[in-house]
Amino acid sequence: MDLTSLPIAEVTDEGVKGAGKAIALGVGAGLGSIGAGIGVGFIFGKEIESVARQPEMKSELESIRWLGFALTEAVAFYTFIFGLIAFFLS
Amino acid sequence: MSTAVADPTSGGTPEAPKSGGLSSKAKLWIGFGAFFAIFILLFLIFGNDGKNEAFKPQNEFKLEPWVSLHIGSLDLSINKAVLYLFLASGLTIFTMVWIAKRMQQKPMNRVQTAVEVSYDLTKNTITGGSLDGKLAAKWFPFIATLFFWIWFSNMIGFLPLPTNTEHEFTIFGLEIPSFAIYAATANLAIPLVLTLVVWISYHVEGIRTKGFVPYLKSWLPPGLENMSPIGRGAIFVIEVISHFVRLISLSVRLFANILAGHLLLLFMGGGLAVLLGIAALGALTFPLAFAFFIFEVGLVATLQAFIFATLSAIYIGGATSASH
Repeated sequence: MDLTSLPIAEVTDEGVKGAGKAIALGVGAGLGSIGAGIGVGFIFGKEIESVARQPEMKSELESIRWLGFALTEAVAFYTFIFGLIAFFLS
Repeated sequence: MSTAVADPTSGGTPEAPKSGGLSSKAKLWIGFGAFFAIFILLFLIFGNDGKNEAFKPQNEFKLEPWVSLHIGSLDLSINKAVLYLFLASGLTIFTMVWIAKRMQQKPMNRVQTAVEVSYDLTKNTITGGSLDGKLAAKWFPFIATLFFWIWFSNMIGFLPLPTNTEHEFTIFGLEIPSFAIYAATANLAIPLVLTLVVWISYHVEGIRTKGFVPYLKSWLPPGLENMSPIGRGAIFVIEVISHFVRLISLSVRLFANILAGHLLLLFMGGGLAVLLGIAALGALTFPLAFAFFIFEVGLVATLQAFIFATLSAIYIGGATSASH
């Protein structure tokens, strides 16, 4: 198949380029946030569940909760940063 | 848009005679409606100035050389990132030495209490949680320094300092650079260097405790004794990749959190209104800037320092522990 006949192969128009960058940032950051949002909600939900079951474990769970929260939340920022790189630096 | 206009007018009128009977949900909707009504009113007054092409948000993070220093092709210019680096280092050293000199038993002042709480956090929760005995005593200064340095670096990143030399304003005939927020950790180079130090030191510590070949063997998870060498080799390759991915994940996590926080504050605190040329949008986003500022200062700045130090301790602990 001749790739050059496809519009995807030759993006010379500035408007199309800008639109592509905007889509990269919007879709990338948006979808990344969905996943991380579910993950963070899951961590806090499970933590509430565990504390309700065993309230004496509360202080021990606290640091694990923040560790899990920060590790999960960072995933949203990875996509966000790559979106920003696509938008501003390419 | 039209529904948003209709809401406050229908909801805003019954405030005079009997507003006491309103449920909290209705009050919330009236509040939101009034908020939008202010925005629409301001939008109608000031209108849309069109997209602003001159304002470049990425320039907030551009490093302008203040003192040019070049050694060959190496650029060692002094810029605002260097200023923040020295501020953070100076603050860390000054606070700790100052408190250590003035430690007292009876009348505890607040700064001493705060430093003691953070000492307890770094010693028992962060280091004690993943390392034990001699190793904890050996690595505690390193991990505590990492925590305090990143914490101070993050915190001064939220103080507006006169560092933006691109735009200057004059006060009493004195040219002062605009106040701007920037953090040393919002630049990938600095978290990456910290990560490299951690990465190399945990490998060195692992090799020192176990020896070179046993250390590499200990990367394999336990329970693979009966596996064929090809299978074990494949898993070893995956483990090698996972060690290199730690370089990216540890550095980008800190960098991206701080950069995203600063970008969010920049856009909410007026950047979005300027960029889109809609002055009324500022009224809508500015309260959000306050909320995000409290979130960033209260949670993210401390949490990222905590995570970086905890993961460093976990990596050192994982490299030196007997099983795996």
